[in-house]
Amino acid sequence: MILTERFTGLDPRTKLVLVMVLSSLGVILQEVLLLGIVWFLTLSLAALFGVGWRPILRRSRMLFGIFAAMAIIQSVFTTGGHGFLWLGPVSVISSLGLERAGGVVLRLLIVVVSASIMATSSPREIVQGLSQWRIPYELAFMVAVAIRFLPLLRQEALETLTALQLRGVALEQLPWGRRLRVYSYLLMPMIAGVMSKSKELALAVEMRGFRAYSQRTAYRVLRPRPFDYAVGGGMLVGMGLFLWIVY
Amino acid sequence: MIGPNGSGKTTLGKVLAGILKPTEGRAFLAGKDTRTLSLGAIGQAVGYLFQEPERQIFAPSVYEELAFVLRLQGKPPDVIDHAVNTMLGRFDLSALRDRFPFSLSRGEKQRLALAAVLVNSPDYLILDEPTTGLDLKNKRRLGGYLEELLDAGVGMMIISHDRAFATGYATRVIELSGGVVIRDSDRTLHRA
Repeated sequence: MILTERFTGLDPRTKLVLVMVLSSLGVILQEVLLLGIVWFLTLSLAALFGVGWRPILRRSRMLFGIFAAMAIIQSVFTTGGHGFLWLGPVSVISSLGLERAGGVVLRLLIVVVSASIMATSSPREIVQGLSQWRIPYELAFMVAVAIRFLPLLRQEALETLTALQLRGVALEQLPWGRRLRVYSYLLMPMIAGVMSKSKELALAVEMRGFRAYSQRTAYRVLRPRPFDYAVGGGMLVGMGLFLWIVY
Repeated sequence: MIGPNGSGKTTLGKVLAGILKPTEGRAFLAGKDTRTLSLGAIGQAVGYLFQEPERQIFAPSVYEELAFVLRLQGKPPDVIDHAVNTMLGRFDLSALRDRFPFSLSRGEKQRLALAAVLVNSPDYLILDEPTTGLDLKNKRRLGGYLEELLDAGVGMMIISHDRAFATGYATRVIELSGGVVIRDSDRTLHRA
């Protein structure tokens, strides 16, 4: 509990360093075993930050479909490995296909779960952290807005799908081709909604003097503590060592 | 269904339309528990007009907005064309048929959303705050459409905090407050 409090209380810039290290390892590493090690590390760190298991499992479940599709595509279109399931002369499931699909899904999982660590900081703290890194306030503010609005966007997409079905579109009875066409209709209200929200938000912040002065004063200034340096530095050094040992 | 903001009108409407599942009790549609019906199946019998018309606009043109569901249902092109043109005429949207729906005025969007719900010929309508954001002229116009539908035998539930508008067409008035029914005319009245 105390450890979780110490980790969630870290400077948002330290958390950004941590997320960048994990995501970079996810992109750089190619071998499934190594990606599995980084995935385990990411999960352990997420637990230290008090990120719940349920949202992680829910997000992971969504990736099973991607895993199955990737496994088949990679097995069919790449040569090599042992074929486990054959359709005539074509290998539908092969060891290479499974390995590559596993790699893709592990990378996605590392990025998704490591990003959830950032959600343990408030948007205000993230903006302040980025500003103190000399990132223009407008850009930092946009990052915070994006973090704030992503869950809303998901909620909106679900509500739009409900509204579409209530128009008498029985999704479960439609063949896949038509069902994909239905999903394409979801894009229009979502894009229109985002555009209208951004316009309203832009107007609202300008009306509240968003760019009235070239310099901004912050009531709360972030000051990294020794624990921040230890965690951030430790992660960077750890990444260097890990890559040096592996390659 | 009338009552102040936050009294539970929309929640009850969503339960009846199967959007929300009841935590207690059951909602039935033509004798079937809504929990056992898919949203698509409910949508074919019940038309639901959301409070925000933008929530139910999906296509890049007014014509397409009315046509795409019929197309997905596999209706022949001449049937679709006839149904869409009838709705465009009925809701004064013919001049706007090629317009981008999201650039329409609030009143026009409301008419389009209602036309899109009706093009599916539902047996019953649930209209959630249909007068929100409408000026007097558009409110009267909407009232005229509703009269036509009632005369055509389409059943409807109007959810509104606009007591005068809702009760003007009602044969039964239910009043909610704090999630509880506080008044129910509980008998068939004559339309005002």
